[in-house]
Order: sequence, then C-alpha cells, then structure tokens
Amino acid sequence: MALVGRNGTLHSTLNFFRVLVIFLILIFIAFPVVWILSTSLSQRISMFKLPPKLFTSFILDNYKYVFSHMAITSWIFNSLLISVGTMVFSLIIGVPAGYAFSRIEFKGKKLLLVMILLTRALPTIVLVMPFRVIMQNFGLLGTRTAVILIDTVYNAAFTFWLMSGIFESIPSELEDSARIDGCNPVQAFLYIAIPLSKPGLVTSALFAFIFSWNDFLFALTLTSPDTTTLPLGMLSTFGILQQGWTYMAAMGVLAIFPVILLSLLLQKYYVSGLTFGGVK
Amino acid sequence: MSLSDLLAIDKKKRALMWFLVPISVYMIIFFLYPVIYNILIGFTDLKLGRTPGYNGLANYSEMLSDDQFLKSLITTLVFVLGAVSVEVIFGLLIAFLLNHENRLMEFIRTFILIPTVFTPLVAGLVWKSLYHPDLGMITYYIRKLGIDIGRGLIVERSLALGAIIVVDIWEWTPLMVIILLAGLKSLPTEPYEAARIDGAGEVPIFFRITLPLLRPTLLIALLIRSLDALKVFDIIWAITGGGPGTSTTVANLRIYEVGINQLRVGYAAALSNVLLIIGVVIGLIFIKYIYKKEG
Repeated sequence: MALVGRNGTLHSTLNFFRVLVIFLILIFIAFPVVWILSTSLSQRISMFKLPPKLFTSFILDNYKYVFSHMAITSWIFNSLLISVGTMVFSLIIGVPAGYAFSRIEFKGKKLLLVMILLTRALPTIVLVMPFRVIMQNFGLLGTRTAVILIDTVYNAAFTFWLMSGIFESIPSELEDSARIDGCNPVQAFLYIAIPLSKPGLVTSALFAFIFSWNDFLFALTLTSPDTTTLPLGMLSTFGILQQGWTYMAAMGVLAIFPVILLSLLLQKYYVSGLTFGGVK
Repeated sequence: MSLSDLLAIDKKKRALMWFLVPISVYMIIFFLYPVIYNILIGFTDLKLGRTPGYNGLANYSEMLSDDQFLKSLITTLVFVLGAVSVEVIFGLLIAFLLNHENRLMEFIRTFILIPTVFTPLVAGLVWKSLYHPDLGMITYYIRKLGIDIGRGLIVERSLALGAIIVVDIWEWTPLMVIILLAGLKSLPTEPYEAARIDGAGEVPIFFRITLPLLRPTLLIALLIRSLDALKVFDIIWAITGGGPGTSTTVANLRIYEVGINQLRVGYAAALSNVLLIIGVVIGLIFIKYIYKKEG
C-alpha cells in the first residue's frame, strides 16, 4: 500500500526524506547495542578518554574477568532455571485451559477471561508486595520457586489468551471425527489439536522465557544472594566496581545475547506474540 | 441432534472442564488472593514482623497529605503521557515509512525489534553510561553541539525525567510500529481507490481515510502501552534510582521505598491500591473494547 507520493518530484523528495529518516531511526536503535558490544571488548582505560570512541580494541579480558571474579555462572544458572521453570509451568497450565476455553461454553466463562486479562493490567508492584508476605508465610521467600510462581501468573495468562485464539482458528471437526473413531477428548487434544498448534506453542514458550529472563523487579524482591539472577547480580557489582563499565558491558552482552538471538531466530513467532491482546 | 450426540457433547464438556481447573486454582491462589490480601492490608498498619492492627481509613487519609506520594503520582502521569504520546506519533510515522514490501524493509522490521527484547535493566545501565555527566558519549556530543545541559542530563532535576522518557521511547516505539503496521496492512483498499478517482490528495487521504480507519488499532496500541508504561521500574532503578531528589521517583519506586525499605507494608499496600484502581480501570476499558471488536 504505497500511498505516499506517486507522482514526479513529490515522489523523489519523499523518497529522500524516507531514506534519511529510516537511517536516523536505525542509528538511534542500534546505538546502545553497538555501544555495549564495543565497550565489552575495550580496555578499561579507553573508557576515560574524550572524545569517546567505539571499537578501540577487541579484547576478551572483560569476559575473562567476570567469569573468574564474579559469581556470574551461578547467576546465569539461576536465570536459566527460573526462565525454563516458568516456561514449562506456564505451558502446562495455560495450554490445556486455552484449548478447553475455545471448545466449550460454560458458566463463568466471561469472568475467567476478565481475570486472565486483568493480569496484564495489574501494575507489577501491586502483586509483588503482597506476594512477598505470602511467600514468607509459605517459607518460600528467597527461593527460585517464588520467582517462578509469580512469573507464571503473567505467563500462564498470556499462554492461555494466545492459545485460546489459536485453537479457535483450528476447526473442531477433525477432533469430532476422531472421537467417533474412539478417541477420548484428552486424546483428541493431545494427538490432534496440539500438533496443529505448534506456532502458538513456540510463541508461548518464547515469551515465557524472555519475560522471566528479562525480569528484574521480581528477582529483586523475592530472591536471596544464593538465588540471584543475572540482571540483579550485574547491578550488585555495578556499585562495587566503580566505573567498571567494561565489566558491566561484558555481563550485559551475556544477558541480552540469548534473548536477542531467540527473538531473531523465531522472528515470526516473536512478532505474533508482541501484538498480544488485540491485534491478530 | 440425536441423544447419543448430546451425550457425547456432555462427555466432552465434562472432560474439558478439568482442563480449566489448574489455571483457575492457580490464578485464585497466586493472583486473586494476593490482590485481595493487598486491598485488606491497606486498612491495617502492618509492618514486617509485627502483628497488624486494623486502622480503618487512616492510611488513605495519610495519603492525601503525603506530598512525596502525590508528587510520585504526578511524575508517573508525566512519564506515561510523555512516553506514550511520543511513541504513538513516532510509531505512526515509522510504520508509514516501513509499509513497503521489499527486502530492506523486511530486514529493518526485524532489526527495530531489538530494543523490545533487550533486558530492561541492562538497557538502563547502558543508557546511564551514555548519559554519564563527564564521560558519557551522549553528554559529550550534546555539549559539543553547544546545548546547555548544566551538570548533566541525569544530574539536573529538570532534565532527568526527560532523559528517562527517551529511553522508554527507544525501548517501546518498535512495538507501536509493529502493531500499527499490522493495522495498516489490514486496511481495506476500496476507500482509497474511490478517493483517488475523486482526485483527492495524499494528505487529505491520510487525515480523512487512513487515520479514522486506523483508530481501533491506535486505541488498542495506546491502551497496551499505557498499561505497560504504568509498570515502569527497571530502567529508572538502573539510571537514576528515582533521583536527583525525587525528580524521577514514579509511584512504583515510591511504593517500593515505603514497603520494602521502610517496611511499612500496610501503608505501601494502600498506596499501591491507588495504582491497582488506575490499572483496573484502563484494563476494563481495554477488555470492553476487545469484546466490542469481536462482536
């Protein structure tokens, strides 16, 4: 739908304008990414020189330093465990529910949907404060389980919403005929609906992983030093290292690398998940 | 429909109802219960490690004269309005620029999504370094251009919130672009053909046809972004920690300070209930809108 400028000079002026603006936008978007990569490969001393320069060197010292001097392996391990835990948990409770929601009518259907959608509306701080008290009562404050439990509230809701839409677009005739052939409803779900909904499953899993991996507030309020995640660990060293930007950048690259890679590899799924909640 | 069909439907329904049990139970325990608990402790003077006493509306009357909280609400409002409005305008502009089918556009559409997946806390630390008052690259070039930024973008009270809003714009404009691009692609072509036959110019076409047709998508994008902007925490925590002074202390940070640093859990709950109401109101408008759209 090329609406803008179809005639002569107007067209070429607009085209020039378009290229210029796109170029500026790309610089704006790329700059922090380029900066963190460049800084993570720089010598510490080069950070204090003006004018600031990018890619003055390509050394891996900062990465070596963070692995040898900080508990970064355990932070990465905690982040991974929480992200994968949330992913699995959200799929287990969200996918079958989304399926049932798309296939049957029942009392309270609207109420359930409203509750699910309200998870998106609720400011995270409102949930995390009482959650802390409740986790303390359960004896779970400071554990990875506590973070998985709160992450799952948001991600199971997301999975449920996304999957009910996906299953709705799959006609139920196939399952009905399978049932006539002797399949029970659970088998019809497992062997017919699930294989047909792979894109939705990938999207749900991807988003649960990214959400938990990128979380900071929940880890800040619910973990203890032993269960610290990568973003939280990074922040705790930022103060100690005093201008330790190169180390921070190295850790930052390790934090953003997995999620950027996943979103680029699964770009189609990532985009469909991003427009969750209204645009299909 | 025969009796055996009806029985089959009934059997299917009963089996599938079980699928809804885990998520319902989960949401009741880990979502509804904490929220209700939060509403209730808002009426107490609960502090960590002490037995709470009911104190009625005392928290709420204290709130009315709590300048720090009221100011944090205003800061939140400025942040949400400032960030979201720029994101919508930029999002619309960029969506138009990218609404072409070729390889380059496809690549750019992928590429611009990177900020949305960038760990927010890390993004905050990166921007903090770029904004560093002496050594930051952005500070250096802004000064080079001869623009007066005093002691630095995140050191001056009048500039810090703006600097934070820029980071949010960096992070979330791409989401706007993607949502609006999806909206643009789904527009019907007939009105445009009719307008062209009538000899309408491109600018009137944009304002008279595209914008009204895009309204539903714009509204949804606006609601989604407002709800998310209301949750802002990580980038502010990383860049300014709420300072200088309280110039970037949004309500979330203030509530954190009261509830976790000062351990006044009851009062923090009352404060957060204000956000709860704001979130639920926007959320219900959103839900009503989705229902209307789907008939």
